[in-house]
Amino acid sequence: MTSMQPTPLEGQGIALSFGGIKVLNDIDVAFQPGEITGLIGPNGAGKTSLFNCLTGAYRPQRGVITYGGRSLDGLPTSARAARGIVRSFQTVALCPDLTVLENVMIGLARNGSAGWLSAFLPLPGRAWEREHMRAEAKAALAGLGLGDMADMLPGMLPPGTLRLVEIARAVLGKPSVLLLDEPAAGLNVAETRDLMRVLRQLSTPELVMVVVEHDMDLVMSICDRLYVLNFGSFVAHGTPDEVRRNPEVVRIYLGSEDD
Amino acid sequence: MSEISQNAVSGGIPAWQGRAVARALAVAITAALVAMPFAAGGSWTYLLGVCFANSIGVLSVSVLVRYGGEVSIGHVFFVAAGAYAVAILEHRLGVSILVSAPVAVILGVALGIAFAWPSRSISGIYLAVSTMALALALPELINNASSWTGGYEGLYVSLDLIPGAPKGLQRYYLPLVALLAVAYALGCLRQSRQGIALLLARSHPVAAEAFGITRGWARLSVMGISCGIAALSGAMLAYASSTVSPSGLTLWASIFLLVGSVVSLYGLTFLHAIVGGAFVTLIPQFLASAGAWIPVLYGVALLGVILAGNLGPKLRDAVGRRRSRP
Repeated sequence: MTSMQPTPLEGQGIALSFGGIKVLNDIDVAFQPGEITGLIGPNGAGKTSLFNCLTGAYRPQRGVITYGGRSLDGLPTSARAARGIVRSFQTVALCPDLTVLENVMIGLARNGSAGWLSAFLPLPGRAWEREHMRAEAKAALAGLGLGDMADMLPGMLPPGTLRLVEIARAVLGKPSVLLLDEPAAGLNVAETRDLMRVLRQLSTPELVMVVVEHDMDLVMSICDRLYVLNFGSFVAHGTPDEVRRNPEVVRIYLGSEDD
Repeated sequence: MSEISQNAVSGGIPAWQGRAVARALAVAITAALVAMPFAAGGSWTYLLGVCFANSIGVLSVSVLVRYGGEVSIGHVFFVAAGAYAVAILEHRLGVSILVSAPVAVILGVALGIAFAWPSRSISGIYLAVSTMALALALPELINNASSWTGGYEGLYVSLDLIPGAPKGLQRYYLPLVALLAVAYALGCLRQSRQGIALLLARSHPVAAEAFGITRGWARLSVMGISCGIAALSGAMLAYASSTVSPSGLTLWASIFLLVGSVVSLYGLTFLHAIVGGAFVTLIPQFLASAGAWIPVLYGVALLGVILAGNLGPKLRDAVGRRRSRP
C-alpha cells in the first residue's frame, strides 16, 4: 500500500443523484499526499456522499475517480481498501462483542495470511499472526494514548474515546488514503484538542488525509487546504486563510458579522 | 490497567474470575461425563451419546446466529447430509466413521456454501424461510433416493470405530470427543483473524467492507462453518443411534435445534452446547410419562430455562456489586 509513490486522490466531474435529487454536481477535486485536507459545508451539502463515492459505497452516475494513476471505477469498497483507501464513519462502527484491541486488529485483517485451518487449530502460523496483530494494535492504541483500554469493550467507553479507537483501527494497516468522517463529533474540548494533536502526528508525506468536520476550530488549525461544499457544488477551496476570507463562505457557512 | 477494564464484561465480578469459574465448571462436567458410563446404565449412555450429537447441532445453529446474525429453521437438511454420508459410505464402501465423518463435514461445508451463494443477498426472515424450504423438501428427497437412502426404513450404521471394543462405549465417547473438539475449534475461531472479521461483518457490514471484509465472504464463511458442524452433528447422531431414517429428520428437528440454541443463549462453549443439547434430548425423555401434557410442560421448561439464562447474569452482577461495597 504505502510502497506506492505518493499520488493524489482525484475526482473529475463527479455527479451523484438519488431519484431527482442532485447530491453532487459535476465536482472536481484533488486531495494531495502530505496534506491534511478539510471538507466542510452545511449539513446535507454532500460531504459524506463524496466520501461514499471515493470509497466505492456509492457509484456516481458520472465522473472519474483516480488514485495512483488508475481509475477506481467499478472497484468495490473492499478492493479500494486493498489499495490503501480507508475511512472512518460518522457514527461509531465498532463491534460491541470485540474488545478495543480486537476492534483495532481488524485494521490488519486483510493483510493476514494464516488460512482457515489455522483459524480452528493451534497451528504455529496462527499464533504468530495473532501476536503480530496484537502487538501492532497495541502500539497503535498506545500512540493515541489508549493503551490502558485495550481489554475493554466499546460499550464501556465514552464516544470521544471510541472515535480515537476508530482512528487507531483506520491507521493500523498503514493506509495511503485516510478519510475521516466527522472525527470530532461528540468530543469535548479536551478530547478535540487531543484529536488535533493525533491527526497532526499521523500526517506523513505519503498520506492523503481528508477530514469532514463541523468543528471549525479543528479544521482551521490542522488543515493545509479546505474544500467548501454547498448543495453538492464546491463554492470555494484554498488554504484556511483564503477560505476564511472568502465572502461566499462567510455568508453560507461561517456566518457574517451581522449574524 | 484501570479498575474499569479489570471489571470488564460482568459488571461487579472481574472478567478473569468469571472465566476461571466457567473453565473449572467445564472441566468438572467433562470429568463427570467421562466417568458416567462406569456409573450409569446402557440406556443413559445411549441417551447421552445422542445428547452430545444434538449439542453439536445446537452449536451449528448458534454459530450462524453469533457470527452471521442469521437464523436457520432448516439446519436438519445439513444434519441429514452428514448422517446419510456416514450411512451410505458404510453401506457402499464399507468405511467406518473415522473416514466418513471428515467426508460428512466436507460435504456439509460444500452444501452450506452452495446454499449461501445464491442466497447471499437475503437475510433475516427471508433467509430463515428459505432454509425452512430445505427442511420441508428433505423427506421427499430422502424417499425419492430410496435406493441410496433406504427410504422410510432408513439405514443402519453398524461398523465400529474400534473393532472389538464395547459398542455402547464407542457410541458414547466418540460424540463426546467430537463435541469437545468442536467447542475447542470454535474457541480458536473466536481468537482468530477470521473470527473477529466475521463479528465485525455481522455488526457493521459497511465498516467491514471498508476494511476489505466483503459481505459475500462473510456469508459464505459462516454458512460453510455452520453447515459443516451441522453435518458433523448428523454423522455423530447416526453413529450414536446406529441408524438413520427420515422420521427423525423433519422440520421439527430443525426447530428443536433452534430451541436448543436459544436455550443455550447462543453460547459457543462446551457448557452452553451441553445445556442446549440436553434440553433438546433429555427433557422430552423426562416428560415422556406426561402424555398429552408434554407440549405444555415442554413450553414451561423452555420458559424457565430462558428466564434463568437471562436473569443469571443480572443476579451475578447484583451479587458482585454487593460484594464490592465497602
